[in-house]
Amino acid sequence: MKSPGIPYFVVLVLLGTLLSVGFENLHAQDAKKNSVRLKADYFKIMEGEIYLKIKATSKIENQNIEVPNLEITVYNEVNDEEIVIGNAITNNKGESKFIIENLNTITTDSTNTYNLGVSFDGNEAFKRASRSISFKNADIEAKLITKDSINYISATLSDTSADSLLAEKSLVIQVQRLFSPLKIGEEFNFTDENGTIFVPIEDGIPGLDGNLNIEVVLQDSDDYGTVKAIINAPIGKPIVEESTFDQRTLWSPRGKTPIFILFFTGGLIFGTWGIIIYLITNLFKISKN
Amino acid sequence: MVNYDVFIKDIAPKKFSKRGMIWVSFLVIIIVAGIIAYIDQLLQGQVVTNMRDYVLWGIYISNFVFFVATSFVGSVAVAILRLTNNPWRTPFVRIAEIITVAAIVMAGITIMIDMARPDRLLNLFVHARLQSPITWDVIIIPTYMTISILLLYFPLMPDFALLKKHFEKTKPKWSKWYGKLSLKWTGSKVQKEIQTKSIAIISVMIIPVGLLLQTIDAWLFSTTYRVGWDSTNFAPYFISGAFVAGIGSLVAVIYVVRKAKKLEAYITEYHFDKLGKLLALACLLYIYFNINEYVIPLFNSKKADSEHLQTLFTGDYAFPFWAVTIVGLVLPTLILLFKKGRKPLPMFITSIIVVIGAWWKRYIIVTPTLMHPFLPIQGVPESWHSYFPSLHEWIITSATLAMALLIITLLVRYLPVIPIQRTMDEQELSKTKNQQEL
Repeated sequence: MKSPGIPYFVVLVLLGTLLSVGFENLHAQDAKKNSVRLKADYFKIMEGEIYLKIKATSKIENQNIEVPNLEITVYNEVNDEEIVIGNAITNNKGESKFIIENLNTITTDSTNTYNLGVSFDGNEAFKRASRSISFKNADIEAKLITKDSINYISATLSDTSADSLLAEKSLVIQVQRLFSPLKIGEEFNFTDENGTIFVPIEDGIPGLDGNLNIEVVLQDSDDYGTVKAIINAPIGKPIVEESTFDQRTLWSPRGKTPIFILFFTGGLIFGTWGIIIYLITNLFKISKN
Repeated sequence: MVNYDVFIKDIAPKKFSKRGMIWVSFLVIIIVAGIIAYIDQLLQGQVVTNMRDYVLWGIYISNFVFFVATSFVGSVAVAILRLTNNPWRTPFVRIAEIITVAAIVMAGITIMIDMARPDRLLNLFVHARLQSPITWDVIIIPTYMTISILLLYFPLMPDFALLKKHFEKTKPKWSKWYGKLSLKWTGSKVQKEIQTKSIAIISVMIIPVGLLLQTIDAWLFSTTYRVGWDSTNFAPYFISGAFVAGIGSLVAVIYVVRKAKKLEAYITEYHFDKLGKLLALACLLYIYFNINEYVIPLFNSKKADSEHLQTLFTGDYAFPFWAVTIVGLVLPTLILLFKKGRKPLPMFITSIIVVIGAWWKRYIIVTPTLMHPFLPIQGVPESWHSYFPSLHEWIITSATLAMALLIITLLVRYLPVIPIQRTMDEQELSKTKNQQEL
C-alpha cells in the first residue's frame, strides 16, 4: 500500500532545494566587495628607464593578499583634470611596472612637481581604488675618479627643473650583486653644498672580468622618489671561474670519465673477462679431448 | 681409508627424504608468497614498501649486502685454503662453492627487487659512468657470479663422469644427464692438465675479485657523504664482516647436509674444529674492525656523527646494535675459543647466531645512517622519520632467503656434495706416501 505522505515529502524537498539555490544567488549579489590598496613609487635610472612601480594588495580575512590581474589606469593630474597617460595590469605578485617613455610629455604644476595618479575602477570582487604620487625631477651625475692609486666615486645630485644642486641629501653607494646590492662606504653619504659626495672604493671587490656596476642611489626621497646612476667601473678583482664543466672529473658525465679510471677500470674488466673467456674455451678443449 | 664403492654410494645423489620434501615445499610456499608480493610491488609501485625520503635504502639493500657478504665464502674457504695448501678443506669445498653461487645469484636478484623500475635495468649498462661505484657493482656482480659458477663446475667434471658410470644401470636417464655435464670427461692426461690449470687460475682470480666485490660494496656506502658511512675503514670492515657471514653460513649448511646425508664419516669433528678456529679468527678480525668503526669516532666525531652513535649506543637502535655486537659476535667468539665450543652441535648453534647477527648487522649499517641526513628533509609526514619494513618487504625478503636456501638444497640434492675424484686422489696419494715412508 502506497503511503499518501510521500508525494508531499518529494514536493517539499524540491521546493527546499529551489529556495536554497535562490537564496544563494541573492547572497552572491549582496556579497561584500574587498577593498584594494594601491601603492605607487617613482623610479628614475639615469640614462635608463623612468617608471612607476605599482603594487596592489587587499586585506582578506586579516591577511594581506597580493591582487593579480587588476587593470590600473595611470593619469596626469593637471589643474583638477585627469589626463590618462596609460594602463598597466598587475602580475601574480600584484605588481606592475609602468614605464614613462618621456618625462617631458607630462605636465608639471607651478612648483615643477609632477602629479600622477593611479586608479582601479573596481570589478565584481574588488572596490574601486586610487592613489596619487608627486615627485620632482632630479639627476645624479656620477663618475669614477682615481687619485693616488685610490678609486673614488664622485656623484652630484641636482634638481633638474629648478636647475639647482641639492645639498644635505643622503646617497647610497652600492655594487650590484646577484641577489641584493652590496653597500659600500659609509652608511650615510650626505651631499655637500655643491650637491656632491666623494666616496673611496675599497680594493678587491670581485666582479666578472673585474667589472663592477656601482650604483649611486637617492633612495625613496619624499620629493624626488628613487633616482639611481649606474657606473661601470673596471676596478674589481676579476672572478676566476672555477668550473670543471669541460674537465674529466669524478662527477662529470660518462663522456668525460677521467683517463686513469678509464684505463684502470677498463683494464680490470677486460683483464678479468679475458681470463674468464679463456677458462670457458678450456671447457670446450676438455670436451674435445 | 674408505672403499670407493662405499664412498660413491654415500656421496651419489639420492632422492629427497620425507623431511627433504617438507623442507622444499616450505621454501616453495615462501617463494610463491614472495613472488605474489613482488608482482603487487611492481603493479602498485614502491609505495607498498616503507621506504620514503629518509630511508631510501631499506631492508632490500641490507639483504643484498648480506648476500654479497655470504658469497665471500668461495674466496675464503675454497681459494685461500687451497692456495695455503690446507687439505682438510676437501670435504666441504663443494658446499662452500654451492653457497657462493646461491648467494651471489640472489644478490643480483635482490638488487633488482630494490629497483622501482626493473624494466630500466638495461639503462645501467647503456648509460654507465665508469666513475660511479654503482657501475662497478653492476660489473663486479656478474663477474663474480661467472667465476663462482666456473669454480663450482670445473672440479665437478670428473665427478659427473663417475656418476654417469655409477648410474649407468640403475638410473640411465640420470646417467645420460651426468654424462652430458661431464663434457666427455675421460680423465685423460690432457683433460687433467687443462682442468688443474683452470682450477688454479680460478682459485687465484677469485681472491682479488672477491675482495673487489666486498670493497665495491663498501664503497657504495663510503663514497656517499653520510654519517656512519663516510669512513676509510669501510672496505676492510666489510671484508672482515663478509669473512664472518661466509664462514658462519658454511658451518650451518655443512652441519645440516652432514646430518641429512649421513656424512659423519667424511665430515668429522676434526673439520668442525678447524672451521671453528677459522670462524673464531674471522670474528676476532671483525671485532677489531668494529672497534675501529665505532670507538674511534667517539673521540673525534662531529655533531651529526655523535647523534648517529648515540642512536646506536643508547637510542632507538640500541637493542639491535648491542644484540648484534654482543650476542652475534662477541659471544660466538668466546664459545669458539673453547674446544668444546667447536664440536658440531655447539658450532651449528653458534653459526646460526652468527648468521642471524650478520643479517641484522647489515640492517644496522644501512638504516640508522639514513635517519640522519646532513641536509634536513622538510615537508614530509612525521611517519617518514622512522622506518620499519612493510609486510611486502618482509615477505619478499623472506622469499629471497628461501630462494637462496632452495638453490643450495637443489644443488646439494643433485651434485656430489663431497668431491669424489679429489677425495679418492688424496687417499691414493696418502696411501702412496705411507708406503714410501714404510
